[in-house]
Amino acid sequence: MATKSEASLNLDLDLLHRLKSTEPPVWLAPRAELSETARKASKIIFSYLRTYAPKSPLDQLLIEGFDAEQIWQQIDLQSQPLLSSLKREVKKFEKKPEEIGKIREVLEGEKKVVESVGKVLEGERRVLAEESDDFDEDLDDGLDDDDEEEEEEEGSEGEEEKKGKGGAEGGIEDEFLKINELQEYLEEDEAREYGLKKDSNDSRKKGGRRVLDNEEDEDEDEEDEDEEELGVFGDSDDNEEEDEHRQKLENAGYEDFFGSKRKKAPKKNLKSIEELEEDSGLDDEEDEDEAVETKKNDNLSTHEKQSEQLRAEIEKMEKANLDPKTWTMQGEVTAAQRPKNSALEVDLDFQHNVRPAPVITEEFTASLEEMIKKRIIEGQFDDVEKAASLPSKAPRELKELDENKSKKGLAEVYEEEYVQKTNPAAAPLTFSDEQKKEASMLFKKLCLKLDALSHFHFTPKPVIEDMSIQANVPALAMEEIAPVAVSDAAMLAPEEVFAGRGDVKEEAELTKAERKRRRASKKRKFKAEATKRMTAKKARDNTLLNDNDGKEE
Amino acid sequence: MQSSMDVETVSSQTQNEPGPLPPKPLFEPLKAHEMSDGRVQFRKVNVPPHRYSPLKKVWMDIYTPIFEQMKIDIRMNLKARRVELKTRADTPDISNLQKCADFVHAFMLGFDVIDAIALLRLDELYVESFEIKDVKTLRGEHLSRAIGRLSGKGGKTKFAIENATKTRIVIADTKIHILGSFANIKIARDSLCSLILGSPAGKVYSKLRAVTARLAERF
Repeated sequence: MATKSEASLNLDLDLLHRLKSTEPPVWLAPRAELSETARKASKIIFSYLRTYAPKSPLDQLLIEGFDAEQIWQQIDLQSQPLLSSLKREVKKFEKKPEEIGKIREVLEGEKKVVESVGKVLEGERRVLAEESDDFDEDLDDGLDDDDEEEEEEEGSEGEEEKKGKGGAEGGIEDEFLKINELQEYLEEDEAREYGLKKDSNDSRKKGGRRVLDNEEDEDEDEEDEDEEELGVFGDSDDNEEEDEHRQKLENAGYEDFFGSKRKKAPKKNLKSIEELEEDSGLDDEEDEDEAVETKKNDNLSTHEKQSEQLRAEIEKMEKANLDPKTWTMQGEVTAAQRPKNSALEVDLDFQHNVRPAPVITEEFTASLEEMIKKRIIEGQFDDVEKAASLPSKAPRELKELDENKSKKGLAEVYEEEYVQKTNPAAAPLTFSDEQKKEASMLFKKLCLKLDALSHFHFTPKPVIEDMSIQANVPALAMEEIAPVAVSDAAMLAPEEVFAGRGDVKEEAELTKAERKRRRASKKRKFKAEATKRMTAKKARDNTLLNDNDGKEE
Repeated sequence: MQSSMDVETVSSQTQNEPGPLPPKPLFEPLKAHEMSDGRVQFRKVNVPPHRYSPLKKVWMDIYTPIFEQMKIDIRMNLKARRVELKTRADTPDISNLQKCADFVHAFMLGFDVIDAIALLRLDELYVESFEIKDVKTLRGEHLSRAIGRLSGKGGKTKFAIENATKTRIVIADTKIHILGSFANIKIARDSLCSLILGSPAGKVYSKLRAVTARLAERF
């Protein structure tokens, strides 16, 4: 046994050393090796402490396949009774210090354990030697653990608890834990506890409550835990104490639970606590309540019972009507007029005046993209188009600035201006007018060509005969570039060149007879003309003579 | 004569009371010759040395219109280097002499004969002269640059102003002479002054265009 314990103890120490030597930051990240060592250490410590807690249901700490919470629960199951017994022992030693010496004598075998462990856990021992309030705090810390630090806490907590206990007592059946002394102590404690609260509220004994959510109940909780410990202790360990406690519970009346009829507020809290709890203490209370009620109803007949019920209901309803309404029925309620966070509990219904934001789903975006693609293909961009400004006035004719020396003299310039003013029609065309004319001519030619091309019933315009000099030269001679075809259309027609009879002879070619004939014809023509002239002259002379005669008369 | 007339009327009145009045006398307008009591009027125009040879070249073009159409005697005093003008007996209008004098004077300033001839033909033309220093005091290079700005490259700015405003401009070193009607002279003068003061030619052109368009619209 000793060797085994020693061997196991050495292992323990190794593991514990390893655990203690790891740097605190290492604990922040979960590590498989660390968790393994911690679990093993916890298991060993658990089995070691098993000897001190014979009533624990577990033989050994089950590690494989259990998560931190479950391991913790196991440890808790063992450690709760141990803690309470340790507490008692400490209090006892407070009063009777000479008892401590007895421990040392009895536990010679385990002295080593005490000393060796004491070296490792000096700080924790000191903590344990302090008062019960600190102990409560530690317990609270233990209860309030977070999951992150659970393994470490678990290990250290377990050590703390177990080692403390191990140091204080060797076994429950030993001499320290004398039942009579325990009972006395309990009575004293109860008197102290209950003596304080007898006047105000005797009903505050509920078992197994661990409600920490209500702020109002924080103080209550601590006290509850005190009582709870005692209660648990009573349940598990000492029958006599349990009986006394039970008696108190049995004799508890309506006033104990619900106080005086006028005090409704604290009762509400108690009611809420009742609803939330789930421990053995609850069963007792319910039994008590039922017992009270059945006593009342046995003596009444059915009709009376019904009438009683009705009356009770009526009273309840009347009371409800008289009382100030709940905040939900009060109309406009600001946050200050209702209890905190009460709006969360009530299912409020109000109108949202804002259109809910569109849920962006894949279909939504797909439809958008489809539309965008379609628009791009069509080219329909909804661009803002500039409205074409209507021309309000005809554009002014910009006078071109002539930068050359004017060829006209100043006198001519003024002359032209004067003529234009007085007689616009006779005015010579200005430069712009000439340009206009030229432009209109070009346009007419173009229109003519286009009409010829486009109309079926095209009638050409009548040709305006223009006088132009036609040089009797073939077209070839006029053109500079070699022409594709030579045309003599522009040349004069033969009759235009020579109009007459064909037989034309030169002077040299004439025969004598022909010469004579020509001379004779010439003479004849001359004579004819001469006679004509003579006759015309005679006619004139005659008229003159006649006139003269007239005048003379 | 008046006294004689009075006597006649009185005598007539005394003789015949209901007799017809004699017709009103019609006096012909005085001839130039008869003005100033029959004395001849002169005008003398100095010839600057740089216009001497041009005058010799175009003498006949000057002489002919003055002598023939204006009916003014004109001669060149070589010794005194001046042109002298004198009214004749048949000069129709006294203003002819002044017009001819202006015409010759314009030529001496530097205008062409064909431009100066307008003075003879139109009444409303004037010649205005001013100097660059009247507008802005410029010295040395600034003055040369101003003169250059006025003329432009190859004289194009000057011609542009002339054509736009129907005037003729002569830039003689620092003196500027403008020939034209009153309003046109004003426009030309404004343009030239803005050029002297430093505006770029483009700005002057745009202003010219606007003004001349407005002037043209009026008629």
